[in-house]
Amino acid sequence: MRVLYILAIIIFFPLLVVQSTVIPLIAIKGVIPDLMLILLVYFTLRSGQIHGTILGFIYGFLLDIITGNIFGSAMIAKTISGFVAGYFYNDNKKDIYFKSIVFSLIVLLSATIDSFIFSFFSSVELEKSIILRFFEQGMFPGIYTAVVSLILVMFHPRRNPF
Amino acid sequence: MLRFISRVWENFKEYFILTFLLILSFISLSLNQNPAIKKVRAIAFGSFAASTAIFSDIVNIAKVKSENERLRKINAELMLQVNKLREYGVVNSTLKNLINLKDTVKYPLIPALTVSKSFTIAQGTITLNAGSENGVKAGMPVINDRGLVGIIYATSNNFSIARTLKNFELKLVVKDERSRVDGILKWNGEDLVIVNVPKTYDIEPGDRIVCSELSSIVSLPVPVGVVAELKDVQTGIFNSVKINPYVDFSRIENVFIIGVLESKMKNDLELNFFNK
Repeated sequence: MRVLYILAIIIFFPLLVVQSTVIPLIAIKGVIPDLMLILLVYFTLRSGQIHGTILGFIYGFLLDIITGNIFGSAMIAKTISGFVAGYFYNDNKKDIYFKSIVFSLIVLLSATIDSFIFSFFSSVELEKSIILRFFEQGMFPGIYTAVVSLILVMFHPRRNPF
Repeated sequence: MLRFISRVWENFKEYFILTFLLILSFISLSLNQNPAIKKVRAIAFGSFAASTAIFSDIVNIAKVKSENERLRKINAELMLQVNKLREYGVVNSTLKNLINLKDTVKYPLIPALTVSKSFTIAQGTITLNAGSENGVKAGMPVINDRGLVGIIYATSNNFSIARTLKNFELKLVVKDERSRVDGILKWNGEDLVIVNVPKTYDIEPGDRIVCSELSSIVSLPVPVGVVAELKDVQTGIFNSVKINPYVDFSRIENVFIIGVLESKMKNDLELNFFNK
């Protein structure tokens, strides 16, 4: 378990570099997929809800420190996302998750929650209706992240890599 | 008690952890302006940015080709726009000058645009987009902001043809603005010249030449050109005076037709005198 924590944090940094350099190139109307969240869901489904919640907190903390977000905003969003993704943890089904679209659907749910909560702390457009905001800043990034997560489903090795 | 706590923890530890972490996160929200936090963030951000910069450079190299292509396209589009704007600028400047001219001249001016030009060596003519329906008649002088362009030769309903000064057929009485000496200006196929000027006449290079009030075509003092040189000084009793016209005939676009004709009665009277 401890190895998984360390591994999750080690993978986090190169992935963050990719997220901040390459991913903006595939932005659609300013919406970009969240690779960190895909990673978080992946490790949560591997190790359980508590692991996911704590890992979400750590990822949020690192993101807030490194990217210059409002300190605490990503921490809240990622912690809750990890917690929600943890509800789908099932030791018997985890290999099935990574080989089917279920993984992307879990990513969709977590990413939507993550983006929606994060937008509350980072957006200045307070006059927008909550439904519009949910779709614009929650659903769209969530869908895009879920679509990108399909790549992981397609190329996931048959045998457990960890 | 301990067993109870242990059982509660076992059953709800996910929620306790979540609550604890969320409390920590909310406390963090209030620490945004804390100098120590700012310092830590600055260091973390700086370190990460340095490593990202290297990767970013690699990504940028891959981007350069498509970026170059895009910039070239934009460059070509901008070049076309700049050319168009330059053209507008030239037209604007000409039109401004014409407006100034219209404000200062009291004669009725009919604006017209050159729709075609014919510059053979001997027969310089321009076609204007104003005709008899606009009040244009044969014999009316055509000017622009620089000076006299020519004389209307023929008109249709909507168009008219003007002979420019560089036309064999057009002969005009002009005068030296300084010395008030009159002479006949004509186009000899090479230069505009005032012919048969007695050597005793006071004409010097640099003098301004304007239309003379003696002219039966244009009796208004419209500027024509400037004296360039005196020819045939050594031989004969007459000089030939070369004139550089003010108007650049190759660039005529917007012009005005002065809506006045020389009085027919005056012409008739002169003719009568001649007849007598």
